[in-house]
Amino acid sequence: MAMTNDAINSDELVVVATGLTKHFADFVAVDNFNLEVKAGTVVSLLGPNGAGKTTIVRMLATLSEPTSGSATVCGYDVVRDADAVRGVVSLTGQFAALEDNLTAEENLLLMARLRGYSKRTATRIVEGLIDRFDIGEFRDKLVKSVSGGQRRRVDLAASLVVQPKVLMLDEPTTGLDPRSRQVVWSTIRELVQGGVTLFLTTQYLEEADALADHIVLIDHGRAVAAGTPNELKSQIGDQRVDIVGIDANGVGLIVEALSSNFQLVIDHNRRTVSVPAPHDLADLVAVTGALARVSAHVDEIALRRPTLDDAFLALTGQASEPYQQDQSIAEVTP
Amino acid sequence: MTMTLASMTRPGDEPLPKRPASMQRFFRETWLLIVRGLQTIPRVPQRLSDVTIQPLVFTLLFLYVFGSAIHIKGMSYQNYLLPGLLGQSLAFGVIGAGVATATDFNTGVIDRFRSLPVTRLSVISSQVIGQILEQILGIVIVAGMGLALGWRPHMSPFGFGEFLLLMLLGLSAFTWFGVLLGMIVKSSDAMQGIGFAIVFPLSFLAGTFVPIAGMKLVPRTIGDWDPLSALVASVRHVTQGTNTSGSWQLTHPVVSMIFWCVLIIAVCVPLALRRFMNAN
Ligand SMILES: Nc1ncnc2c1ncn2[C@@H]1O[C@H](COP(=O)(O)OP(=O)(O)O)[C@@H](O)[C@H]1O
Ligand SMILES: [Mg+2]
Repeated sequence: MAMTNDAINSDELVVVATGLTKHFADFVAVDNFNLEVKAGTVVSLLGPNGAGKTTIVRMLATLSEPTSGSATVCGYDVVRDADAVRGVVSLTGQFAALEDNLTAEENLLLMARLRGYSKRTATRIVEGLIDRFDIGEFRDKLVKSVSGGQRRRVDLAASLVVQPKVLMLDEPTTGLDPRSRQVVWSTIRELVQGGVTLFLTTQYLEEADALADHIVLIDHGRAVAAGTPNELKSQIGDQRVDIVGIDANGVGLIVEALSSNFQLVIDHNRRTVSVPAPHDLADLVAVTGALARVSAHVDEIALRRPTLDDAFLALTGQASEPYQQDQSIAEVTP
Repeated sequence: MTMTLASMTRPGDEPLPKRPASMQRFFRETWLLIVRGLQTIPRVPQRLSDVTIQPLVFTLLFLYVFGSAIHIKGMSYQNYLLPGLLGQSLAFGVIGAGVATATDFNTGVIDRFRSLPVTRLSVISSQVIGQILEQILGIVIVAGMGLALGWRPHMSPFGFGEFLLLMLLGLSAFTWFGVLLGMIVKSSDAMQGIGFAIVFPLSFLAGTFVPIAGMKLVPRTIGDWDPLSALVASVRHVTQGTNTSGSWQLTHPVVSMIFWCVLIIAVCVPLALRRFMNAN
């Protein structure tokens, strides 16, 4: 469900990227990337590992200079007015960037002091953050010895010593267990309600769907599709039914039974036929009915949410190939 | 998490303090970051032992194990060894600074500082100054241990001042060198490797433990031109008034040491700053 914010009703563009490009020697990591983020919205950059998400975030946060193209944050140019950009952006990097050998509390205090607050004010701010992010229990533990989820919380808190105009989160939940992920999500939702503009990267379609107003799908450093979650989902399909055949013949029979009524995606290596199921159960029933009529045998049949792979397949007509070379390239029947 | 909107203390509630002049900010931020570095020393056993136990063990080991077999004409082994160890400790600053820098760059904590509206110069200055302070701790321990075990430096007050200045120059040069290497190598393991493969042997060939003049041809030639030899000979000259024989740099140790250090600083500081300031 997308979060929208009624409190801020502004068309002010907070982040604008124009033709943003980054080369590492000969390698093009980001290629002519364009983006507009409106104040108070959540924009998610969705793409597989190596797509160029971190590189884009680093350019926007002034950690890396674009090879060509330009970007502004709150009107400040990320190269010419880098210091001003740093004043309005808070970045939480992909790998929680904290001083391992300081405690959670010491890390937060350092961040507050570095923003210019006196010891007293910094202490007050940190107390607030410790409460708000539920850090009390491990405030005196060295950061290197806390769990991944706890570390993420300290990391987020460290980015919020000052309420930023734009918060950038690079893969905030990668590597977290489902419970910690829920906690991070609810924290993010609260922040968005508080009016912060959020730029978020993720590898999980589900996460972009849950948090973002606008999703940009990216692959090989290029934006390949963009839209609201609903726009994208109407193209991807809400859910899918996966049918796993017993053997190659079985798969053939399944395809025969379904191809006239459904758009199939066939993966021969995994003996899997996948069918979009916008009406979930009704579609599942229709599929099982069609299979039963030809007495097909199946190994497994399941209703599931679409993955990033499905999204790429549906929106670009091809899988995000180099990242899944172990799988066969799915073919799409008409 | 127990969070309700009502109970939230919004960070935005605290007005941002006025930004002082950039000089003042630079000193404040540098100080904060130095403290952060020093705070972590006691929490990393490896680093703590590098600056405390290791120099102690080295001093004891060489004094009592080799000291019984090595005889230096005209002086006690204490008076020969201690200046050597002090010179060596300057060179070891490369490893310490390199490992610390590589670690910081790897964990992304430097990126976090760089993403803050903090003067970038303060991030790298604090790295250098923090490392220098850490090395000084080690040097003081070595010197204290040496004095307790019979090291007797002969220095006028002027000579002592010269000694302090030379040590500081050496520390600055080798720490900057280490910071640059750490940024290039980016892996603390690789930095340790470089330390063992290059700095360690060079420091042994530098006349630290035995005179270069008595070595066989190959090590003697290396020792004659090893920049670390100039450090060792120079410290020995300043603290004991001893002259070293050998190559030009050994007979003019103080000038040579200043030359090497200034050269290192002139090369490393601009490179390190450029690498650090230019985001990549
Ligand atoms: N400093 C660098 N030098 C060379 N290649 C890099 C560098 N940083 C990233 N890359 C390459 O750029 C591509 C995009 O990386 P990245 O932005 O980290 O992707 P993502 O965050 O989407 O996983 C990858 O192929 C990566 O190997
Ligand atoms: Mg990344």
